[in-house]
Amino acid sequence: MSHPRITLEHVSKQFAAPGAGRTAVLDNVSLTVNEGEFVCLLGPSGCGKSTILNLVAGFEQPDHGRVLLDHRPISEPGPERGMVFQQPMLFPWLTVRDNVTFGPRMTGADKASYQADAERYLQLVGLQDFAEHYPWQLSGGMRQRAALARAWLPKPQTLLMDEPFGALDAQTRLAMQELLTDIWQRTRTTILFVTHDVDEALFLADRVLVMSARPGQIRESLTVPFARPRNPEELLTDSAYGQLKRDILHAVREEAAKSLGLQPA
Amino acid sequence: MLWQLSGSLGWVDPLLLPPPSDLWQTVQELAISGYRQTPLWQHFAVSTGRALLAFAVAIALGVPLGLAMGLSPLFGAVLNPFVQFLRPLPKIALIPLVIVWFGIGEGAKFFLIFISSFLSIVVGASAAVHGVSQGRLRAARTLGASRRQQFVHVVLPDALPEVFTSVRLSIGIGWTSLIAAEMVAANSGLGWMVINAGSYLRTDVVLLGIVLLGLTGYAFDWLLQLLQRRFAPWTGRDA
Repeated sequence: MSHPRITLEHVSKQFAAPGAGRTAVLDNVSLTVNEGEFVCLLGPSGCGKSTILNLVAGFEQPDHGRVLLDHRPISEPGPERGMVFQQPMLFPWLTVRDNVTFGPRMTGADKASYQADAERYLQLVGLQDFAEHYPWQLSGGMRQRAALARAWLPKPQTLLMDEPFGALDAQTRLAMQELLTDIWQRTRTTILFVTHDVDEALFLADRVLVMSARPGQIRESLTVPFARPRNPEELLTDSAYGQLKRDILHAVREEAAKSLGLQPA
Repeated sequence: MLWQLSGSLGWVDPLLLPPPSDLWQTVQELAISGYRQTPLWQHFAVSTGRALLAFAVAIALGVPLGLAMGLSPLFGAVLNPFVQFLRPLPKIALIPLVIVWFGIGEGAKFFLIFISSFLSIVVGASAAVHGVSQGRLRAARTLGASRRQQFVHVVLPDALPEVFTSVRLSIGIGWTSLIAAEMVAANSGLGWMVINAGSYLRTDVVLLGIVLLGLTGYAFDWLLQLLQRRFAPWTGRDA
């Protein structure tokens, strides 16, 4: 049994609703992400996927239950938990290189200790020729690659990803997914990845957690059995892939219908 | 063209609207012999000097105060009613009080220009902090930035373009109150020149003064845009 890195124990979270009262976003959610595991959280919009990430990041605190990192409660954000957002959230006043090295520069690391790594990551994400450019001079995909390098450079034990490729076009998204699994296979960082794209989840994850409509709960936990490195074309020919995708789609569609207030078909 | 013709052909009384040719004569006359014994350049220098000093102090005090109000909700809530009460007041209404407080010397003129630009800089800088991207702040926090580092490396540069914009607007407002300031027992300055010439029906001097006031205000704004491009080139850029 591997070591659990992230644990949510009976977590509930409410937000003040516009108008009156409070809306329950998460209701008694329990989940575990093991060390070195790649887990995708899948669910309809508004089901609380991002809230789970914000709790683990330490931006928010649960109303009930506990959010643990290596068995210790999470109280605030820290550099051992990197995060990649849906938007790149780069700093437009810094060059790409200064953006990527932002983490180690803030934590006061010796320049010699991260310089070589920074160049390696810039190369890995294909931005070595754009290190002196400013973020606004890059395309959307390039910005998100810079954000990926920035999150990974401080060598976080855990990486939280909030639909990081959701705003990219289909081709760029595929390339980013391959880049992500490529880096992950070298580093084996624990990753919790939020998405609403079933194919993306099946290509990336060791395990897929399907969430219910709000108030969010973990409806199913499915292991993705495909060997790595995976190839998106070969996956399609695998009969297990079709079956798994059908199961997940069924659950996702049911929950999406519930969140829209429709009767399941 | 139309302006010149209107005067030359006698459509409009030159007393009501002196044509550009008359204005040019006035420029030459004032440049040589001055207006009321004071050369034109000196009127200009006195006014810009007064204004620039007041702007400099307003920026130096207003920006930090506004940032502090934006950062600390308590501090902001305490000071905001005073700022919001004073800011929309027509500064001419303050003249009698200002004379009682500061006399009729340079102090009163400085204060009138200062207070009008200072108050809007405070409001602008405080709003700039509220407009700082929460996403970028969160990104900085996950990268291990301390509270001080978040302020220096994210809040300040993220707010800078909007601070520049509010300074540009505030300097426009401050320049407007130059007239009010020079109503207080002055004997030189562009604002005083306009008021004084008006009471002697020297509309050519009035118009010249207006043109110079406008051009100077324009030059201030141009200079600030230059500074903004130099020090905040990421203004309006997405990342």
